[in-house]
Amino acid sequence: MQPQVQLTILIAEDSAADRLLLSSILRRQGHVVLTAANGVEAVDAFRRQTPHLVLMDAMMPVMDGFEAARQIKALAGETLVPIIFLTSLSENEALASCLEAGGDDFLAKPYNQVILAAKIKAMERLRRLQATVLEQRDQIARHHDYLLNEQRVAKAVFDKVAHSGCLNVAPNIRYLQSPYALFNGDLLLAAFTPSGDMHVLLGDFTGHGLPAAVGAMPLAEVFYGMTAKGYGLAETLREMNAKLKRILPVDMFCCATLLCLSFQRRSVEVWNGGMPDGYLHRIASGERTQLAARHLPLGVLSPEAFDDRTEVLPMALGDRVFLLSDGVIDTRDANDRLFGEQGLQRVFESNRQPDALFEEVQQALRDFGGQARDDVSMVEISLLQPAQITPPALVYSDSGQSCPLDWSVSFELRAATLKRFNPLPYLLQLLQEVHGLRAQSGALYSVLAELYSNALEHGVLGLDSSLKRDAGGFARYYQQRNACLDALQDGYVRVHLQVTPTGEGGCLTIRVEDSGKGFDVARVMQRPVDDIRLSGRGVSLIRQLGRNARWSDDGRSACVEFFWEALA
Amino acid sequence: MADTHLDRDVLNALQEIMEGEYPTLLDTFLEDCETRLQQLHKAQSAAQLIEAAHSFKGSSSNMGALRLAALCCRLEKSATHSSKDDIQQLITEIVSEFAIARPLYEEERQRFLMDR
Amino acid sequence: MSVISEMSQDGQKLTISIKGRFDFAKHQQFRDAYENKELAAVVVDLKDATYLDSSALGMLLLLRDHAGGDDSDIRVVNSSSDVRKILAISNFDKLFDIS
Repeated sequence: MQPQVQLTILIAEDSAADRLLLSSILRRQGHVVLTAANGVEAVDAFRRQTPHLVLMDAMMPVMDGFEAARQIKALAGETLVPIIFLTSLSENEALASCLEAGGDDFLAKPYNQVILAAKIKAMERLRRLQATVLEQRDQIARHHDYLLNEQRVAKAVFDKVAHSGCLNVAPNIRYLQSPYALFNGDLLLAAFTPSGDMHVLLGDFTGHGLPAAVGAMPLAEVFYGMTAKGYGLAETLREMNAKLKRILPVDMFCCATLLCLSFQRRSVEVWNGGMPDGYLHRIASGERTQLAARHLPLGVLSPEAFDDRTEVLPMALGDRVFLLSDGVIDTRDANDRLFGEQGLQRVFESNRQPDALFEEVQQALRDFGGQARDDVSMVEISLLQPAQITPPALVYSDSGQSCPLDWSVSFELRAATLKRFNPLPYLLQLLQEVHGLRAQSGALYSVLAELYSNALEHGVLGLDSSLKRDAGGFARYYQQRNACLDALQDGYVRVHLQVTPTGEGGCLTIRVEDSGKGFDVARVMQRPVDDIRLSGRGVSLIRQLGRNARWSDDGRSACVEFFWEALA
Repeated sequence: MADTHLDRDVLNALQEIMEGEYPTLLDTFLEDCETRLQQLHKAQSAAQLIEAAHSFKGSSSNMGALRLAALCCRLEKSATHSSKDDIQQLITEIVSEFAIARPLYEEERQRFLMDR
Repeated sequence: MSVISEMSQDGQKLTISIKGRFDFAKHQQFRDAYENKELAAVVVDLKDATYLDSSALGMLLLLRDHAGGDDSDIRVVNSSSDVRKILAISNFDKLFDIS
């Protein structure tokens, strides 16, 4: 026989001779033996010395084997202590009682050494199996706790990155998101640009847990960094895509919808890569425009193949954009039915009060039943009056001691550059070196942006801004813009910046020239400042925000000034 | 019943297992038997009879007293439905069988001690 | 076997068929179907596929990367309307020939 592991075995048997015999058999097999003559002694011995295995006589005085077995099993708890009943019971019912009492096997009398050894071996295998299972279960529970803790840490770090956004402070955003959304890959970011536009990103990373969260951090940094510097959607998209493509494994990506809402221009620029449809609700007509996914998710295509083309749609005051993650559509009820697009459309159809729509969707999801999911994210962004939106003051990281006060710089951007490069963030960075101008950053950026886009679109590209008269024309305008830009061969935009000190303060002169045909300056100046018209508002904006705005050279050259007093 | 009083093979196996403690085992068994017989005589109910007969059967079979074990088995099975007389008869048979087996065990004990 | 792969006689076309849910559970099997093979044209047959999730999209990307990236020749065929819809929203028809 193979050598056995030494076990401590408890024998509970009331016949002295049988007890003696069994002890000898077991000792010869190498085990340590404990003995008891009745059930009470057996339970007592078990409690004191916790043997590995118990051989229990069924019929004993004081307390019988069945009761003793029950008590021992209760004492053992999760650990397996095999109990082999010693019996010369032949009836099946009696045997069944052994098993019901918690017995794991039985041994008939007269004792057969070989059979006994085999049964002990088999029980020992089971005992070890149970012990392994419990150990692994405990290990898993410990690891699970570590994981939860790691997630907590990751979330704390992420919250520091994400706090620079405006989700909670902007009055025009309403949103719903689980605190654990991050670990389902759901991401919601919002930030103001220097000119007071708002960028919003609703994203959905593949995967769960930390891998999904880890991709969100670099993405959020790019989003906030570039938005704060005044980069447009296209550049931000290109950068985010390139970053994710570089750092994520091939099979991971991020579906995302990115918006730029301009309160001044009353438009929304959209890019949707792989997310469910967003919706633009027009309050006046009740019309709902789908913002469907026309692009691959971020992180799939190489920078060369990436498509950063956006759609631009006009918005009126009170109009709102509604975005949701696929957790909404995928919500299932107790019968495994899908809430689906139909569920959402039903809520849209029955909505009477636009302001209530957000709550109504939430309520519909609750009513639908099913489990609350961590990946249900929704956001509603409304277009309000610019005055109602106050972007937070920009924070500067320098000490503010010295700055350039008397300088000028000129740039000439030619066709190849105009196609792919946005100079505005750099110009703004430059101007922010002048501390006196910092308080007017918003206005500066808006004016620069307006001058540049006029020079590029109306000047170099020759687009007719009256196309932007209505929603359909709006879309055509931007399509034309992209087509013309792609085909551009010649042309230039020149930007001159001049800063001169005046007394305690100073003056910034901005001049932008283009190679286009110009326009009838006098006619445009005569037009009233019209709030509702979609087109031609650029000129009035420049006149309102800057000083001494003037156009020369048949409209090909625009000039405007900004002043500041001595800093306190 | 062609059962033997004492099964030689069983005794050999017991001797091999117990080695020096063989006599102790035999003594212990014989003491047990006395106790069991008392229990049988004193039994007030069928349940008590069955319990005693069952235990007696178990240790007898372990010790190779096959005929004794068989008789105890019969008593165990018939205790509930047999008449008082029949039960008494069986007990008497058990007592007789033990009377035969006992000296055989004592002989066995002697033989072992002498052979060493 | 819920992922079956078959190479054509001339070794020029590998057909991978998915049965049941196309999700992360099939990750290893899907990979094994194409990993140590010379890939020319690949056909992913979704006739018996009941469902597709984002990890399946990731698996298709891995296959595409393995089969030569932009130079790969991968067709996804026999998609049900549900599967078609998911592929459409993610615009994967820009990367794969889907029918």
